Amino acid sequence: MIPRYQRVLFWILSGAILLMALVLLRGCEQTREKLTRHRDETPLSAPVVTPSETVQLALASDTDGSITLVEREIALPSEKSARAHALLARLIAEYSYKNSAHPIESGPAVDDVFLIDLPLHSHSGAVGSDFSGELQVLTGQMAVVNLHEAFTDHHTSGIESETLTIKSIIGTLYANFPEIQHVRFLVDGRSRETLNGHADLLRTYAVVNTTNKPAQGVR
Amino acid sequence: MRKHAAVLLVTLASASTAAITVRAQTQAAASIKANAPAGWPINHTLVVLDPAHGGTEGGAVLGDHVAEKDITLAVASKLRAALSTNGFNVVSTRDAGGSDPLSTDQRAEIANRTHAAACIVLHATATGSGVHLYTSDLQAPNQDPDLTAGFVPIPWDAAQSGFVRQSADLAVSLSTALGKAHLPATLGQAPIRPLNNLMCPAVAIELSPLAAPGAAATPATDGNYQQQVVNALTVALRAWRDSPALLPVADASTGGQTSAQSKAIAAAEATGRAAAKVRTSPTPPPAQKGPQ
Repeated sequence: MIPRYQRVLFWILSGAILLMALVLLRGCEQTREKLTRHRDETPLSAPVVTPSETVQLALASDTDGSITLVEREIALPSEKSARAHALLARLIAEYSYKNSAHPIESGPAVDDVFLIDLPLHSHSGAVGSDFSGELQVLTGQMAVVNLHEAFTDHHTSGIESETLTIKSIIGTLYANFPEIQHVRFLVDGRSRETLNGHADLLRTYAVVNTTNKPAQGVR
Repeated sequence: MRKHAAVLLVTLASASTAAITVRAQTQAAASIKANAPAGWPINHTLVVLDPAHGGTEGGAVLGDHVAEKDITLAVASKLRAALSTNGFNVVSTRDAGGSDPLSTDQRAEIANRTHAAACIVLHATATGSGVHLYTSDLQAPNQDPDLTAGFVPIPWDAAQSGFVRQSADLAVSLSTALGKAHLPATLGQAPIRPLNNLMCPAVAIELSPLAAPGAAATPATDGNYQQQVVNALTVALRAWRDSPALLPVADASTGGQTSAQSKAIAAAEATGRAAAKVRTSPTPPPAQKGPQ
């Protein structure tokens, strides 16, 4: 037999819970109304419609260590470094799909892509000692790919896996940006020795054709 | 008497001039050998093992939280024992007691001082299948260096370029031996340190799980699998020790050298032999004074 005071306490607590839930719901509704009321939806600039275009991605496969050029229809911005950024972000996103042949954990991978014309010169205009000798000698355009540290830290560790990722990025740049001849990698804006313990990130890579399998069509 | 003294003086002067000339040529030859990979002296019985990672840098994580650094060290220990019993001298860049591991540059420095017949960089991974063999992705130089020019500086990041062909030969030898041991092996090139900094035939070996049809893959942590790989590598390195690829360029029938290089090396070696002859020839006995 449950004592009377316990039954009274139970109903009082149940009532309090119900009351608190109602207060919480009301609070949420009020907040949402407040945010909606202050949102400025004035159309100040016309929306830009970017048509889809065919790009080529150099996709890696862990099963046979291959790099294959595949075509994709995606919308890209017109500015060149933004295009490169969007393209590489799309490339890495392909690897986070469920049945990817080169699985990489999903999440933002590429922070920025900067395009630099080589050779670099000092501020005085003459070739000086402000930059490393290599960048004063190389010619053409260089892409500096700034990766997120979270991406590199969670990348599968191993020579094959890391090398395929690097080759995939290089192959994609080669297929879509013929004017880019070199690429360097940074991680959160700083130099880092390896991608995740193996592939060298301190060197300047030549942007070359890294594919070793016949190309595939649009998907 | 005065006539004999004059002849002796002239003879001594010409001999010293010849000795100075020969010494200069010998030094030039030594300079060529020290700086040109084609003339790099190689210790046929020395192998450098580089178990990758170490200390706080564990590398990949395999199986039940086993660090790659421990796998590479275990394989290196087994390989060291196997090679030692087969007459090799083995230099390892890391051992079990090393708490502060060397950087890849320091490891390359150790290897480059040994003039090893082979430099083996050991890795392990949880992905892929079989044994992956990687060589440097540097290209062999298009133009062979002018050996007659004397000192030829070699950039640190391109130190391996003179050994690209030998490294490829070594990788093929290792791959063949692994294949004979029924261990699938794949060959490739990879941008990993310190391959590009090594002045020796260098191959990075990455142990991946061993896939078997209809059964679970054997992980790289498996001791039996590691021993099979070690046995195959030992067989390959024994054959590599006597490989023509390790012979001096002038003696090798397929060294891939230009005729100009071959001539330069032959001339340098001929000069060296002449110098050795001059140095080792016994001092002529003093003329016996006969009755005048």
